[in-house]
Amino acid sequence: MASPIADLSYRDYDGPLIPPTFRWWVIAKQGILIASKKRGLQVLSFLSAWYYLAMMVILFFIGRFAGGNTGRSLDPIMKRIVWKDQFLHGFSYAQLPLLLIALILGAGAIANDNRSRALLVYLSKPCTKMDYLFGKFIGVFLPMFLIIAVPTTIFYGYCSLSFADYGFLRDAPWLLPQILVVIFFSTAMNSALVLAVSSMFDQGRLAGAAYAAMYFISNFFTFAMLGTWRATEGTSEPAKTLFYASIDGIQIGLCKAVLATSGTTPFGAPDPNAGNALPIPPPNLWGTLAIMLFITLGSLFLAWRRIRAVEVV
Amino acid sequence: MNVVDVNRLTVQYGNFTALKDFSCQIPEGCTGLLGPNGAGKTTLIKTLLGFVDPTSGQASVMGEDVKTKGAAIRQRVGLMPEQDCHIPGMTAVSFVAYAGELAGMPSAQAIRRAHEVLEHCGLGEARYRNVETYSTGMKQRIKLAQALVHGPKLLFLDEPTNGLDPKGREEMLDLIRGISHGKGVNVLVSSHVLRDIERVCDSVVVVMRGQLRASGRIEDLKRIEGQPLDVEVRETSNAFVNALMAEGAMVGPPKSNVYRVQLSGGIVQAHQRVQSVARRTGTQIRGFRVAERSLEEAFLDAIQPGEPPKIMHAEGGSN
Repeated sequence: MASPIADLSYRDYDGPLIPPTFRWWVIAKQGILIASKKRGLQVLSFLSAWYYLAMMVILFFIGRFAGGNTGRSLDPIMKRIVWKDQFLHGFSYAQLPLLLIALILGAGAIANDNRSRALLVYLSKPCTKMDYLFGKFIGVFLPMFLIIAVPTTIFYGYCSLSFADYGFLRDAPWLLPQILVVIFFSTAMNSALVLAVSSMFDQGRLAGAAYAAMYFISNFFTFAMLGTWRATEGTSEPAKTLFYASIDGIQIGLCKAVLATSGTTPFGAPDPNAGNALPIPPPNLWGTLAIMLFITLGSLFLAWRRIRAVEVV
Repeated sequence: MNVVDVNRLTVQYGNFTALKDFSCQIPEGCTGLLGPNGAGKTTLIKTLLGFVDPTSGQASVMGEDVKTKGAAIRQRVGLMPEQDCHIPGMTAVSFVAYAGELAGMPSAQAIRRAHEVLEHCGLGEARYRNVETYSTGMKQRIKLAQALVHGPKLLFLDEPTNGLDPKGREEMLDLIRGISHGKGVNVLVSSHVLRDIERVCDSVVVVMRGQLRASGRIEDLKRIEGQPLDVEVRETSNAFVNALMAEGAMVGPPKSNVYRVQLSGGIVQAHQRVQSVARRTGTQIRGFRVAERSLEEAFLDAIQPGEPPKIMHAEGGSN
């Protein structure tokens, strides 16, 4: 029973109404709020930064114990480290958690709305299809970007303060903006792709399964190309190009192209050009970027076409 | 003032014409949009909200053109859709507050108003439950709450009593009537249930196969040509009937002691003549009222093929 003093009669709302300019932000904010409460996302956010955390711990102990106290110089180890490659590794190792984060944030973003016909709620308010799609996109993109960019920036800050004497700032002065650009385009492509897949289903789990299948099948192809590349001792041109023809591959390709590196092992040992560790050279930067942009915009267009307030038969 | 003006509107889905050369005016107050399933009622609402682009013609909602001012219209309008719809993973209060924010309310105001509207819609006790766990009746109420949260000046209710049990139906109709009378909210109720429309609406627009069949105040549409009187007597009397016929009246067979009497002249004169005949023949009259059809009869009459549309103006005249 309601309180006897409660006035339950309908009263008109006479407060302010904000003009429909940034309505997409309301949608994005809600998506981020719902996602931030998911325990799985918090765990995966931590896991996606494992490489940087491990490197910071290792570098801290090397600096503390292998340095001044014993009188041995850090030079032999530190001189072997290619700093920009550490960011390539950090980014590469974050790919699998990134896939899972994309699934948590994006797989149900539109699919669950399709199931519950939430579009009628959104579009009966002063929101356009563009507001809805852009809001959903930002709701996936922004957390993903921050989850990868924050540990990257922290690692960069740690290295720049601790290892400036070992060429950290000198070797790659634009490293931070470069890696942030890579993260920006990668997360944008991931977000757009997962939303496009989500828009085609009316159950988040089905959309998630479809996106994961797409990711792993294309990744299997990438591994096959890596095998071919190594079997041909780095002479197969098709394998060199097609290695990047997967969701995972194109992102690593962009990272390699922007950082202008083929990648080495974490501490520069053993020699990356020896034996099986034959790195695949970076792809063409502008070509890779163009393909990623095409995939991102194409996916958003596909999702935009699928969003309809009414089913017109 | 009309809240909706539709002028020669045609809406096509491919080769199928959902609305054909449709014109109507919807006045302030509560109006029913009547028609059988597939008549074009939902298409009209969706067109007025800007979801569907009309092939030709014009329409405006509260003076705003539906083709160019869709967002402005939707900021002042609330929609309770026919189908179940909610945003997954949210409690009722967060869902309604979110709907308020989507409509442009500041966050704090939206939360306060969500509590208020949920109380009004009878969901106060269940406001912290996930909407997905709600019963059909509760889902209907939350659809109404999300449509009301931003204080719309016009509400579109698409089949608001769908799936409700008799008690739930009565409660929903009470809610709609309460909102639409004396609260400054205009309501357009789309339904194929005549009793619901008659219970809550003052005016009605009848749609059939995408065309307007009738529009006007319900009492005008129910009025019978010639304005006969229903005269209730204590006991049926042949002498009374014969005397009336001698006065030139047409008298129908009695139904539960009620004669339908049609006399020439105005209602007042007819009333006096019936009383005079009753006195002469010693018949005890228990009641008089101007005879009218049921809304069902008026509706069936309106949708007769070949009949021209019946448009009743505010004064009660017919075109």
